[in-house]
Amino acid sequence: MDMTLNAFTLSILTGLQLGSIYVLIALGLTLIFGTLGVVNFAHGALYLIAIYLAVSINNALGFGLALILVPPILFIIGVLLERGLIQRFYDRPHTDQILVTFGLAIVIQELLKWAFGANNIPFSIPSWGNGIIFMHDYLPFLEGFVVYPKWRMILVVVAIVTVSAVFALLHLTRFGLVIRAGMRDAEMLQFLGVNINRRFMVVFGLGAMIAGIAGVFGGPVTQVSPEVGMQLLVPSFLIVVIGGMGSLGGAVLASILIGMAQSFTAPYIYINTIIIYLITVIILLVRPRGLLGAKGVFE
Amino acid sequence: MTTQNNFWQHNRTVLIFALIALTMPFWFPLMGGYSGLDTKIMIFCIFVVGFDILLGFTGYLSFGHAAFFGISAYVTGIMLKSFSDNIIPAILVAVLAATVVAVIIGLLTLKRTGIYFSILTLAFAEMFDSMAMSMLQKWTGGENGLTGMPTPMLFNLKMQGDTVFYFVTLMAILLFYLAKRIERSPVGLMMKAIKCNQTRLEFTGINARKYKLLAFVISAVYAAIAGALMVVYEPFVGHEFLGWHQSGEIVIMSVIGGVGTLVGPMLGAGFMLYFENVLSVNLGEQWLLVLGAIFMAVVIFMPGGFMEGIARLKKRYFTTVDGE
Amino acid sequence: MTDVKSENTNHKAGWSRRDVLKATSAGAAAGVTPMFFTQNAWAEEALGNYPVKGSEVVLGFNVPQTGAYADEGADELRAYKLAVKHLNNGGGMLDTLKPSKLTGNGILGKKVTYVTGDTQTNADASRTSARRMIERDKVIMVTGGSSSGIAIAQQYLCNELGIIFMCGLTHSNDTTGKDKQRYGFRHFFNAHMTGKALSPVLSKEYGKDRRAFHLTADYSWGHTQQESMQEFTEKEGWSTAGNIMTPLKTTDFSQYLSQVLNSDADVLILNHYGANMVNSLTNAVNFGMRDMQKNGKNLEIVVPLYSRLMAKGAGSANIDGVLGTSGWNWALQDEGSKVFVKTFTDEYGFPPSQAAHTCYVQTLLYANACEMAGTFYPPEVIKALEDFKFTGAGNGETLYRGSDHQCIKNILVMQGKSPAARTSEFDYLQIVDEVDAKTVDYDPAIFGGELGPYVPA
Repeated sequence: MDMTLNAFTLSILTGLQLGSIYVLIALGLTLIFGTLGVVNFAHGALYLIAIYLAVSINNALGFGLALILVPPILFIIGVLLERGLIQRFYDRPHTDQILVTFGLAIVIQELLKWAFGANNIPFSIPSWGNGIIFMHDYLPFLEGFVVYPKWRMILVVVAIVTVSAVFALLHLTRFGLVIRAGMRDAEMLQFLGVNINRRFMVVFGLGAMIAGIAGVFGGPVTQVSPEVGMQLLVPSFLIVVIGGMGSLGGAVLASILIGMAQSFTAPYIYINTIIIYLITVIILLVRPRGLLGAKGVFE
Repeated sequence: MTTQNNFWQHNRTVLIFALIALTMPFWFPLMGGYSGLDTKIMIFCIFVVGFDILLGFTGYLSFGHAAFFGISAYVTGIMLKSFSDNIIPAILVAVLAATVVAVIIGLLTLKRTGIYFSILTLAFAEMFDSMAMSMLQKWTGGENGLTGMPTPMLFNLKMQGDTVFYFVTLMAILLFYLAKRIERSPVGLMMKAIKCNQTRLEFTGINARKYKLLAFVISAVYAAIAGALMVVYEPFVGHEFLGWHQSGEIVIMSVIGGVGTLVGPMLGAGFMLYFENVLSVNLGEQWLLVLGAIFMAVVIFMPGGFMEGIARLKKRYFTTVDGE
Repeated sequence: MTDVKSENTNHKAGWSRRDVLKATSAGAAAGVTPMFFTQNAWAEEALGNYPVKGSEVVLGFNVPQTGAYADEGADELRAYKLAVKHLNNGGGMLDTLKPSKLTGNGILGKKVTYVTGDTQTNADASRTSARRMIERDKVIMVTGGSSSGIAIAQQYLCNELGIIFMCGLTHSNDTTGKDKQRYGFRHFFNAHMTGKALSPVLSKEYGKDRRAFHLTADYSWGHTQQESMQEFTEKEGWSTAGNIMTPLKTTDFSQYLSQVLNSDADVLILNHYGANMVNSLTNAVNFGMRDMQKNGKNLEIVVPLYSRLMAKGAGSANIDGVLGTSGWNWALQDEGSKVFVKTFTDEYGFPPSQAAHTCYVQTLLYANACEMAGTFYPPEVIKALEDFKFTGAGNGETLYRGSDHQCIKNILVMQGKSPAARTSEFDYLQIVDEVDAKTVDYDPAIFGGELGPYVPA
């Protein structure tokens, strides 16, 4: 297909915003994995809790309160989950971690279905985020009619801000220094007398909180139904693995890669449906530790 | 006398299994089971026993074994539909096809370990699932599934009802016996050594890859036989056979039963199918919630699954018998 | 007729393992189903779960209780329970269905009971569940399903086992087309009828000179819906700009909608159902497609198959003015619809969906066919249903066409209501047109397929 500049721009924007929702989910997943070494299959369910909370608060009290309340609530849920369940599994095999969190995901999904029904709950976008952006206003080299939904562009901005904040936290604070050291060698830190345990708790809470942010902004895009969590789980996992387990930069890179791949293959549906798996297989076979994975981590 | 004793000792589990399985039609209905479900349980027993040769022996967790199950089922279905209604050529071709795929995937994926291996197998299986749903729809029937096969025949014998049950059960007994033989054989010991410490094994000059691949392919063959038998049991193939939920279900069965015990996964398979199809009716809409909770509880409190539970009970009530 | 039955005698002759079981535990099993025990007495006619022993007859309601269609499934189940209540005690459409031999005293004097199952919106699970009902619970009829793939899978199974399957909500042409079965019956309408009814309204509303882009759910129903919409809109003078088959598991349609923006289409047709439709429509609205100009005309969105639950999921602001079709709506004012809506609302506190309607009617129609045939013997019941003409069930005069087991009846062209125009929380759609059965009728031969014999091999 002959691609015009406009069509190309549209595909780029689509790839970016697809990547944004992936990155918001994969970020927490890879953070938890990299730091705690826990494969959290319930991460999609955390996102599910976030979108149901967000849509409930949004429809009752407005978007502002959803934005203020949901991420901290998710943080608390994350902390409780880590204390109550996850910490029992630090020394257990990955298989057990996968299985217990998978069971948890089913339980959360079914509880939410019980409470809210299986059907979609409409998540209305706040008026300031509604409507479309005329891309010509921002990208003057485009000629004619190129538009994109404003909300999806906001999502891209939110993803960029969130990623930057997490990077800043890890690279510019003492807390981040300890965490990064923990990602390299948790045992060593224990020897040095650092209480890594409490920090693990905070990291898990942080991962859940990012899912909370994802839920507030992603809910109107992914929609609100009990299936959403499981549907996002597999692609997010593949992205984490493509990027390299535990590598934040890798997760960002892989999210954009997958987003772009899906966007540009959209007219070729046979390839479009398998592209994410194809990329996973090729990358893992050529570069076993993923795009930016550290050597020797969980190989 | 001693040889007889040996035979009994070696094959006690197999014989007990055979006894329980073959009498199933008589006792299963008493607990709410029904014809058809017993056959399905036997088919999944085959699937999980094979899976345990990979997961239980070598420790490799595959999230994509549904691929072999599904590919074999599709090939069986297409063979029955367009070649002959005799199940023997259909099963042979199907298992062969799945084996070829397994060798290729095994060679590619077994270079990786741990979570990377799991994700790779998952990606392959999901790729097949997506293909069955889109580009291969003409042959697979897509979302509608593959239907319209003739009644499967074993030469002149119609494969319906009881005939299928006993055919499947005999296969299950045979395959369980073979798995037991593998477990005791030097090859089985090698596989188990991989689980303990692969690096050390390789230092001793043993080619661990060969044994890993062998375990992978054997388990895929079991999955393929199970997949083919699903079509013999019921002439229908759904794309769900290939999906990651199917792979996940096999993992769940294995874990709640007790990985590495061969018997445990079969218990797990029986429990899961019984729960999904019999108890679910009493629990109504919330059955999946209850199942999820049970599943979590088992993983948290009984990491060794039902087999650990049984061992604990034994220990509590029969310790003196063992002469401790 | 007689030779057909004698064929069947051969088939059921001989003892199965369950005879042995029954014989050995005869004491315990006495009175449950000693059907084979007294086999000779029934040898002439035993088929599926016929004959029905005892004073009760069991129906199997197999609906999605988990998965994406669970809400539809829950509503179907409500309708089935209501139908059972009416069959046993009278009331509801028993008073309006004509001709009817229903007495309000069960079916053929036997009290109606039921068992339920969960299809999990999954073809394999639905078959396992249907099998449980047939083998263990000895149901005489199975009904349900909220998706064409699942309906077709069950229809094949039931046909093999000699059990009548009354389809619930399934809209694919294939159900009564290439996959039709002697033992399967569909009251709901289909994609072809949607195309026929909707296209004239579309060309009236939006003009003859339009260019349509299709997004289509990539499975049997989507394909037939797309083909039918393309066929009938092109007959109205429209052209087709493109079609993308979207995978069923898609939740974010932005990648495909970008392609629509790139094209020169001025109408977007969403051949999606359930969660797919909710997502694609919401995404399209976010892309500004409801307020956009293309080719100097307003870009329009069309949703060929509508349901209230979908409209609710998408939100009324998003569906405002969007056209589509439905099989039935609770706002209909005929006697049958009114009494059904009233009894359903009295029982559950809210009006029924179209899925509930078709399931309720199917149950009554099956029961009535048994009464007309004077037996539960499936081939006779099938013959009673084939070419049965009736009124009073909510869609005007309806024909259960014998050649493909498709009901030919009036269908509704619907339009989404604006939030301001809604009068209650269940009021999402308004009826634009009730298209006459004659208009949507078609030649069953166009889809091929074979019904097969009255007594399964």
